[in-house]
Amino acid sequence: MRHTHALFAVFGLALCAPQYGLAQPSPYAGKTITMVVGYKPGGGYDATARLLARHLPDHIPGKPTVIVQNMPGANSLIAANHVYGAAKPDGLTIGTFNRNLPIAQLTGVAGVKFDMTKFAWIGSASSESTILAIRTDLPYNSFEDMKKSGKEIVIGATGPGANTYDFPLLIKDLLGVKLKIVSGYSSSSDIMLAIERKEADGRAGSYSSILPFIDRKLVRPVIRARATEPGIEKLPVDEDLASTPRAKAIMALRSAPEVIGRPYVMPPGTPDAMVKAMREAFAKAIKDPKLIAEAKKAKMDLEFVPGDEALKVIKEVLTQPKDIVDEFSKYIKFGE
Amino acid sequence: MIDAFLDGLLLVLQWKALAFMLLGVGLGFWVGLLPGLGGATTLALMLPFIYTMQPVEAFAFLLGMHAVVATTGDITSVLFGVPGEATTAATILDGYAMTKKGEAGRALGAALGSSLVGALVGAFALALAIPIVRPLVLTFGSPELFMLAIVGLAFIASLSAQGGRGMLRGFLAGGLGLLFATVGQDPQAGVARFTLDTLYLWQGLELVPVLVGIFAIPEIIDLVVRGTSIAGDLPPGRLNKGAFEGLKDTFRHFGLTIRCSLIGTFIGIMPGLGGAVAQWMAYGHATQSARNAEERKGFGAGDVRGVLGPGAANNSKEGGSLIPTVAFGVPGSTSMAILLGGFVLLGLVPGPDMLTTHLTLTFSMVWTIVVANVITVAASFLFLNRLAKLTTVRGHMLIPVILVLVFVGSFTANNNYGDLVVTLVFGGIGYLMVVAGWPRAPFVLGLVLGKIAENYLYISVARYGAAWLSRPVVLVLLALALVVVVYPFIQSRRRGPGKGAHA
Amino acid sequence: MHSKASLALGLGIMVLSGWAVASTFGWPWKAALFPLVIGIPVFCLAAAEVLWVMFGSTERGDSPDFQLTRDLPRRVMLRRTLTGMAWIVGFFVAIVLLGFPIAVPLFVFLYVKLQGREGWGVSLTLSLAVWGVFYGLLDRLLHLPFPDGVIAAWIGLG
Repeated sequence: MRHTHALFAVFGLALCAPQYGLAQPSPYAGKTITMVVGYKPGGGYDATARLLARHLPDHIPGKPTVIVQNMPGANSLIAANHVYGAAKPDGLTIGTFNRNLPIAQLTGVAGVKFDMTKFAWIGSASSESTILAIRTDLPYNSFEDMKKSGKEIVIGATGPGANTYDFPLLIKDLLGVKLKIVSGYSSSSDIMLAIERKEADGRAGSYSSILPFIDRKLVRPVIRARATEPGIEKLPVDEDLASTPRAKAIMALRSAPEVIGRPYVMPPGTPDAMVKAMREAFAKAIKDPKLIAEAKKAKMDLEFVPGDEALKVIKEVLTQPKDIVDEFSKYIKFGE
Repeated sequence: MIDAFLDGLLLVLQWKALAFMLLGVGLGFWVGLLPGLGGATTLALMLPFIYTMQPVEAFAFLLGMHAVVATTGDITSVLFGVPGEATTAATILDGYAMTKKGEAGRALGAALGSSLVGALVGAFALALAIPIVRPLVLTFGSPELFMLAIVGLAFIASLSAQGGRGMLRGFLAGGLGLLFATVGQDPQAGVARFTLDTLYLWQGLELVPVLVGIFAIPEIIDLVVRGTSIAGDLPPGRLNKGAFEGLKDTFRHFGLTIRCSLIGTFIGIMPGLGGAVAQWMAYGHATQSARNAEERKGFGAGDVRGVLGPGAANNSKEGGSLIPTVAFGVPGSTSMAILLGGFVLLGLVPGPDMLTTHLTLTFSMVWTIVVANVITVAASFLFLNRLAKLTTVRGHMLIPVILVLVFVGSFTANNNYGDLVVTLVFGGIGYLMVVAGWPRAPFVLGLVLGKIAENYLYISVARYGAAWLSRPVVLVLLALALVVVVYPFIQSRRRGPGKGAHA
Repeated sequence: MHSKASLALGLGIMVLSGWAVASTFGWPWKAALFPLVIGIPVFCLAAAEVLWVMFGSTERGDSPDFQLTRDLPRRVMLRRTLTGMAWIVGFFVAIVLLGFPIAVPLFVFLYVKLQGREGWGVSLTLSLAVWGVFYGLLDRLLHLPFPDGVIAAWIGLG
């Protein structure tokens, strides 16, 4: 009899335990999770990571501390290599880096020591759509106007490998629009200043970074890439205007990583249970009203894309046929 | 506008804002002191905490911290010869030299005094420039910025020793710096230049490890060789001149201090030139104030003017770089970029609005800089002389601590061991340069201006063809560059009154 | 000494700029322009300096920069210089092998004790103080990353 009571007691406790936290301690209790960011403090990837780092502990059982460590260099290749090869797969390291790294792997950039498909994918914290915007005082109201005018439009860019450069390059070479790409500006905000000076006529870039200037009526967007965000849905998409399937494939390839705008991964070999827990934590954190409020203040718009979807996109990018890849490499160079 | 000016001051003086500013100042003090902990990094770290603050308090905190970093960065430069910040390396040349002569207190006083003047000038420039800032920034397009970089490079002539041999070595050093500046991926064709097949060099050489290596390492080796305290053979405890002497120096050479503050402010206003340039141009200008060849040689050996110039410029630059950040939403430096993030967080839209609807807030920022600097300098003076006593401590107690500062500082710039290697390599190069009698300042100038000059040249040519050469401001700047290059030759012709010829 | 160093630097720069110019063959002209425009004059200037050192006067010339102490006997200076360099490089090696958290206090202790010839008390106190600031500020407060040394990785620690 006593044994039955005991059994019931244990059983009952076991049932109630999760609510009282009396179950086996969560693997994360008392631990510190390190989020490795492939960029210096102050940029978009870093800001997103720090925002998440502040709210994730509330959604991970055991409430671990989450700290951010910056590991800049080689456009986040160093950070990616580190998370792939050097970090331990014990569930205590998360990495976030340049969304274009799959393209780096695809085009065989020297120095790539990772395989994107082998990371333990948590997912993406947002999608980042790319647009091209031109000065409002130019007489073109739409992409069609721009193309038809036949006049040369000066687009400021930072350098090959950045979407400020790659997006207009494809539009120029594959859609036949007369764009003059002037490269070498030290940052995208310098390009905005050049636009104010009328030294440049427009700039490409992520919608979120150009938005303040659209609101100020300095520039207006005329064309976007595949990913969309509220406000630019009606814009023409570059792929749709492509005249050959090959051109379309190349543009699609460039845009593919946009859906995984802020990728988050764990080292290959991380136990599935931990990856799953992290995915859930991310999903919940991104829906956390406190995070949403803070994100709104910072004009960030987070949206969780789960790891398996992200992995699908990666695999699609990495299995492109060789001739497309070769053609693509002629235009797009992975870089800063 | 006057009401906004005064209201801004009242906003800052509310006790809550003041408290946060003091907190920021306290933090910024240490950040500036430690090399490698850039003001930018720490600003980014502090950003999350301001979510819950009111705008004025938040800015009091952020700006208080930021405004102070440039001031205290000078302290490590002067006392130990280690650049506390990338922007305070120029202060080492004469500041540390003065310390070695036992004049650490005076050097510190001069550095802080000129920092205060510089900060005030920069802050008031922000206030006064508000009506003209937009046309001013808009006139300086890429061709003008390229020309400005050329003017900066022209200062290599001033930073070199006199005579043909001196110029040769100066330009060699400058050219070497320019060459090192090309390392990394170029923004025109995407070629990875001189990266030795490493990922580390992809984005070029990091400034902080190079500066720390080239300036600090030779000094440390020299300290080991000397076997004494930093201040040399003076009996411990007795230092020549105190901090107030340095403060008096600031006013003795008030014209120079103001001019260098203006240089710093101007460079700060021009986004894209980078923060490290202002101090070197100011130093170059300071050497031009030597009245003859004899005096000129005193620079680098402990002339207080060599401290005043950069000390003023690297603070006034801060006020200056707020201008494009506030007026255009275009950050003038990395730390400004983060500050900009702070603006957005607090719901403010940088741009013309800041100069109209939010004018009071803008003025409160000006006042924050002013008040923060006054407090820092006043507080520092209380223990400056005591800090200076550190230089009488036996060298071998300080050397390991300095070396720890050097290595930790260099590493935390990027969390990459590559930076340590860079520090060692450039430590070696710096040491050779010192033994050979080559000037190091032109090297830094070349390194810092190389990328800027190249990029703006390409942009100018791509955008304007050859027409940019005939733009009025470009021509004015070209003339200025020529004057700057030729000036040292004029200087060497002049002899001191009654001092006789001495080449 | 100074002319030997000047010669070394001059030759070194000739090699460096020569290599730089040679590397640019095959690059698109936009990438090659600046390195060429700078590299070629630098090569010539370096050659001029080398020639000047070899055939010109050996006077030291002024330097607008700081000058090393010269008032000690040559031998002593050389020995101390090499010692200093050895300590610096040694510290670097220690950091790589042992990681910052161990290398820092160890180095401070060893230097103050061996080179400085201070007593145990002073050496230990200073090492602990430095380690305290290092750990407290940089690790605990700012969470700056300091990887474990190579040796630790080999042994499988940490």
